Amino acid sequence: MSTSINNDQQTANADVDVSNFSRHLNGQNAPIWWGIIGLILIELSVVSAFTVTYLYLYMQHPQWPPNDIAPPPLLIPTWSTILMLLSCVTMYLAGKSVEKNHSKGFVIYTFASVIMALMVLWIRWQQFDNFDMRWDQHVYGSLLWTISGFHFIHIVSAAIGTGAIGLFGMVGFYTKQRQIGVVVDTMYWNFVAFAWLPFYLVLYYFPWL
Amino acid sequence: MKNHPHTEQAIFDDQEGAEPILDKTWLSPPGFFGWFTHVNQRQIGFRFVVTSLIFFALGGLLALLMRLQLVQPENTLMGAEFYHQIMTMHGTTMMFFFAVPAMEGLGIYLVPLMLGTRDMSFPRLNAFGYYVYLIAGITLYLALFLGMAPDTGWFSYVPLAGIDYSPGQGVSFWTTMITFIEISALTAAVELIVTILKQRAPGMTLNRMPIFVWSILVMSFMIVFAMPTVMVGSVLLALDRTFATQFFVASGGGDPLLWQHLFWFFGHPEVYIIVVPALGIVSTVISTFCQREVFGYTAVVLSMVTIGFVSFGLWVHHMFTTGLPHLGLSFFTAASAMIAIPSGVQIFCWIATLWGSKIKFKTPMLFIMGFFAVFVIGGLTGVMAASIPFDMQAHDSYFVVAHLHYVLIGGAVLPFFAGLYYWYPKMTGSMLSERLGCWSFWLIFIGLNLTFFPMHQLGLDGMPRRVYTYLHNMGWGEVNFFVTCAAFLMAFGFLLTFINTLISPYKSRAAGNNPWNADTLEWWAQSPPRNYNFRHLPVISSRTPLWQKAPLYKVTGIRADRREIIITTLLDAKPQGVCIMPSPTYWPFVLALTVGFGFLGFMFKPILFVVGFFLSFFAIVGWLWPARPWLAEKPPEEGHPVRGLQ
Amino acid sequence: MHFWTKLNHKAIYLVVLLTLKLPLSYAQSQSAIQPATEQARGISYIWWSMFWVAVVVFVAVMLLLAWGLWRGKSKKPTQLSYLASRNLVIVAGIAVPLVTVICLVGGSLMLGRSLSASPPDNALEVRITGWMWWWQIEYLDENSNTIATTANELHVPINRPIQVYLESGDVIHSFWVPQLHGKTDLIPGRTNSSWFEVDVSGTFRGQCAEFCGLQHALMGFLVVSEPQAEFDAWLANQQVPAQPPENNEVLAGQRVFFEAGCHQCHTIRGTDAAGTAGPDLTHLASRQSIASVTRKNSRAHLGGWVADPNGIKPGAKMPMSQLDAKELSDLLDYLQSLH
Repeated sequence: MSTSINNDQQTANADVDVSNFSRHLNGQNAPIWWGIIGLILIELSVVSAFTVTYLYLYMQHPQWPPNDIAPPPLLIPTWSTILMLLSCVTMYLAGKSVEKNHSKGFVIYTFASVIMALMVLWIRWQQFDNFDMRWDQHVYGSLLWTISGFHFIHIVSAAIGTGAIGLFGMVGFYTKQRQIGVVVDTMYWNFVAFAWLPFYLVLYYFPWL
Repeated sequence: MKNHPHTEQAIFDDQEGAEPILDKTWLSPPGFFGWFTHVNQRQIGFRFVVTSLIFFALGGLLALLMRLQLVQPENTLMGAEFYHQIMTMHGTTMMFFFAVPAMEGLGIYLVPLMLGTRDMSFPRLNAFGYYVYLIAGITLYLALFLGMAPDTGWFSYVPLAGIDYSPGQGVSFWTTMITFIEISALTAAVELIVTILKQRAPGMTLNRMPIFVWSILVMSFMIVFAMPTVMVGSVLLALDRTFATQFFVASGGGDPLLWQHLFWFFGHPEVYIIVVPALGIVSTVISTFCQREVFGYTAVVLSMVTIGFVSFGLWVHHMFTTGLPHLGLSFFTAASAMIAIPSGVQIFCWIATLWGSKIKFKTPMLFIMGFFAVFVIGGLTGVMAASIPFDMQAHDSYFVVAHLHYVLIGGAVLPFFAGLYYWYPKMTGSMLSERLGCWSFWLIFIGLNLTFFPMHQLGLDGMPRRVYTYLHNMGWGEVNFFVTCAAFLMAFGFLLTFINTLISPYKSRAAGNNPWNADTLEWWAQSPPRNYNFRHLPVISSRTPLWQKAPLYKVTGIRADRREIIITTLLDAKPQGVCIMPSPTYWPFVLALTVGFGFLGFMFKPILFVVGFFLSFFAIVGWLWPARPWLAEKPPEEGHPVRGLQ
Repeated sequence: MHFWTKLNHKAIYLVVLLTLKLPLSYAQSQSAIQPATEQARGISYIWWSMFWVAVVVFVAVMLLLAWGLWRGKSKKPTQLSYLASRNLVIVAGIAVPLVTVICLVGGSLMLGRSLSASPPDNALEVRITGWMWWWQIEYLDENSNTIATTANELHVPINRPIQVYLESGDVIHSFWVPQLHGKTDLIPGRTNSSWFEVDVSGTFRGQCAEFCGLQHALMGFLVVSEPQAEFDAWLANQQVPAQPPENNEVLAGQRVFFEAGCHQCHTIRGTDAAGTAGPDLTHLASRQSIASVTRKNSRAHLGGWVADPNGIKPGAKMPMSQLDAKELSDLLDYLQSLH
C-alpha cells in the first residue's frame, strides 16, 4: 500500500497530549470565528447579488432616475455613512477594553456604538419618508426601498446583538480570556458598516452619473 | 452548557474505565420529547439522509403520476392544472428536498468520523438546519395535498410566476419555502467548512484528507456562494407578488430576464453542488473495492475544485434562446464545454486506479459501474447542449429532459446509492442483502436507460418539455408509452433498495467495524459508532490511516465528563485548542419554529414576518444564553511544544 | 397473455426502431432532423457530427474501462505504473477532450455566428406576438406598418429570407418550428428576432417551447411555405376585409356573432368587430386548423370549439357559448364563409 507522506510533514511517534490546552478560544482557533466569516461570505454574496441587480437594471435604462425624478440628495446619506463608520471605531475601542479587562470602558464603547447605530436608523427612517418614489411605481423605487430596507434590518440586528453583549458586559461576562462573543459581534458590526459602501455608491452616486 | 471547573475531579478519556462516562456525556436523550433536543452529528446526519430518501420516494411517485398522464396522447387522467402542480413539485422535491440534503446528510454523518473528531463545529446549528428542512418540506407537501402547490415549474419563470398570472398562493408557497430551505443548506455548508478546516485530527494535513471530505468542502463553498443568489431572487419575486415592486415587470422598468439570471446563477452551480460529493463517493468506493489509493490524488482534488469554480461561469447556457447577443453567449459555450475536462480527468484517474485490480463486485461497485456508463452519456449530451445552434433545437425539449436525468441519476443518484450500500453497515451495524442489491441495481440501470434514452429521440422529434399532453398525430405516443412502462421498471428497482434498507436490520448480518477493509477513519469506529465516535481521538500520519502498518497513536488529555473536541490549524492540523461542545437542547427546534412561523406567516399577512422576527430574537437569546457556571479562567499555556508530534 | 404479447411486440418494435434511429415519420412531423431550411440543415449537420463523436468517445471509454477490469481477472493483480497512469489521464482526460471540445466549440461558434447574422435585405418581415395560448401574426411592409393580420398560421414564400420579430403580450413564450430553425423566446418588454429561408414547399408544424401556463402544451402553429406567386395571392387575400354575407344563413350567423359577444374579443375586418383579446378571424376559413393547431378546421371541430372551448383546451380564455343548435349552425355558416 503506498502512503504518500511528505518528509516535511509531521509524523506521529507518540500520543499527543492536549490536557494543558486552553479551553478558551478567542481568535482563529475558535470555530465561531470561522463561522462568522462564513456568514459574512454568505451576506457578501447577497450584497453582490443586490448590487449586480441594480447595475443590470441601471444599464437598461438610458434615463436614470426615470420619469424626471431628481437624483437623491447626497448630504444626509453621507453623514449617516460617516456616522456608521465611526461606530466601527467605537467597537474597536470596545474590543481593546476587553483586552485590557476594562469592563466599564467596554460597556461605554459598546453602548456608544449602539447609540450611533440608533441615530443612523433614525436618520434612515426620515429618509424613507422623503424618498421621491414608491416601491411600486418603477423598479428604481423598488431598488431604493428594497436595498435600503434590507440594510436597515441588518443595522437593527447588529444593534440588538451589540446591545445584548453590552448587557452581558455589564454583569462582567466578558474578560480577556472570555471575549470571543465580542470578537464575532464586532466582525459582524464591521461587515454591516462596510457592506453599506457598495449600496451607498449605487443608490446615491449612480443616479448622478 | 454544563462546564465543570478544571479541578482534580476531571475525568479524561484516556483513563481506564472512561467509557461509561463518555457514554453519559455524549448521551442523546431517549424518548419522543428527547428526540427534539439531539445535537449529535451522527443523529442529525442520519435524519438528513432518511428524510431525503423519503422525499426521493415522494418525488419519484410524482414522476410516475406524470408518466401515467403522458402514457398516451390527449390522456385525461388528470387536468393541466394538477399536472403542472405535480411537475413543479417533482422538480422542486428532487432538487431542493432530496439531492442537496442527501449529500449534506452524508457529509454531516461521515465528515466528523473521517476527520477523527467527535462532533461538528456547531451542533445546535446543525439541528436547527434539519428542523428548517423538515418544516419546509412538510409545508410544501401540505400545500400539494390542499391543492395549493406551486404550478409554474421548479424554476418559476416570471412573468408567469408573477402576481398577474399566478394570483393564487401556490407560487407564494414556493418563494417562501425556497428561501426557507436555503437557510438549511447554508447552515450545513458553513458548518461543514468550519469542521473540515478546523477540526481535523492532529496530523491530518490538507493533503492527507480523504477525497470525500474534499468533495464536501468544495460543495460547501459552492453552496455559500450560489445559494444566496436564489434567496435574493425569490425574495424579490415575493416582494413583486406581495408589494407590487417592479423588479421583474417590464412595464415598470423591470426585466423578466433578471429572474433568469439570478435563478440560473444559482441553478447551474446547484447541479454541481449535487454532483461533486457524488464524485467524492465514487473515489471512495473505487479505492476501497480496489484496495488501492485513488491514482492522482492531487489531480482528482484539483479537478473537483476546478469544477467548483468553473461551474459559476456557465449559467447563461440555460438562456441561449432568450435573444442575448451571440458574442456574449459564446463565452458560455466555451466554459460549458470546458467543464468536461476536469470531469474527464477524474474518470481516467479512476480507470487508472482500478486497472488490473481484483475487484469483488459487491453492490456498491455495481452502482459505480452504472455511474460510469450513465454519467458519461449524460456528460456527452451536455457538451452537445453547450453548442448554441444545437441548443436552439434541444432547449426546452425532451432532449434536455433526457440529458438532465442522465447526469443527475447517473452522476448523483447512482453514486448516492453506492454510498448507501457502502455506508449502511457503518450506520446500522448490519449489511444490506447482496441479492436484493444486485436485483435492485440491474432493474434501476436497465429501467433508467429504457426510460430516458428514448427521450433524446422525442426531443429531436420536436416534443417540448413541461407539456401535460400531446396530440394524436404527432407520432410521440408509442415512445411515450414505452417510456412510461420503463419508468415503472426503474421505480420497482428503487423499491427493492427501500425494502432492503427496511428489512436488513432484522436479518442477522452483523457488519463489524470494517467489513470492506476500507482505509478511512470512519471504519475505525464501531458499527454503528458510539455517540462519542471514537474511544480515543486518533493522530494521523498518512493518507490511509487504516492501511498503514504502524498502529494509530491517540490524543490524550481530552475530558470525558464534558463534550470536548480538538481544534487544529488550517493547513497542517497542529493542535491549537480544545473546544467545549454544547449538550442536547430544544432551542434549535424552537428557533426553527419561530423562523418558519415568520416565513409562512408572510404569505398570509406580511406583518407576521416581523412577528416571527421578534419571536426568533427571543429564541436566539435563549439559545445563546451562557448558563452559569461560566467556564473558569485559567492562565493560558499556549505555545508549549506538543508531545508526540515532531 | 394477449396483452403481454402485444406489449412485447410493441417493445421489440420500438427497440428496433430506436436502434435504427429513424425519425418517426407519421402524419405531422416536427422533427429537428428533417430540415427544410439551410439554417436547420446546419444545425442538423452539427448534431450528427457531435452524435458520432459522442458514440466513439462513449465506446472508447467503456472499452478502456472493460479492459482495465478484465486485466484484474488474471491470477496476479497488476497495476498500471505511475507513468502509464499519468499518461492515460493526460492523454485521455485532458488532451483528447480538449481537442474535441475546441473543434466542437469552434464549429458551433462559426455556425452560430452565421445564424445570428442579419438576414439579406430582401427579407419578408413578420411580427409575431405570443399570447396565452395563440400566435398573432402581422405582415409588415418596408416601413414596418402592418399590412395583414392573421393568427396561428404563417405563410411564407420559398427561397426568400423571412425575418420574424418576436414579442410577447403576456408571459414568456418560445417560437419553435424544428424543421425550419432553432427556437427563440418571446419575452415581454423585448423584441427578439430570428430569420430563416425555406427551400421547399410544405407545411411545417411548430409549438410553444417555453412553459406559459395551462395550455402551453397545445399552443401550436403552422408555417406554410409556397411558391412566390401563391404566397402573393394568399397575402393579397389576407389584406382585404371580409366579404359581406352572401345569404340569409350567413347573415343570421353574423348577427349571432355579435349578439353572443364574440366581437368583444375578436376582430373581423370589414365589420364592427374590433376586439383584440383573441385572434383575428377575418379569414378564419382559409386556415387549416383551429385552436392553435389543436384540431382541423372542419365544421364539426369548429362547432365543438365554439360550443365548449374547455372541452378541447381546458383553461382556454374563450368562454363557453350559450347557443342553441340553430344559432350555432348559423354562426358556423358565417365563420366558414370567412375565406
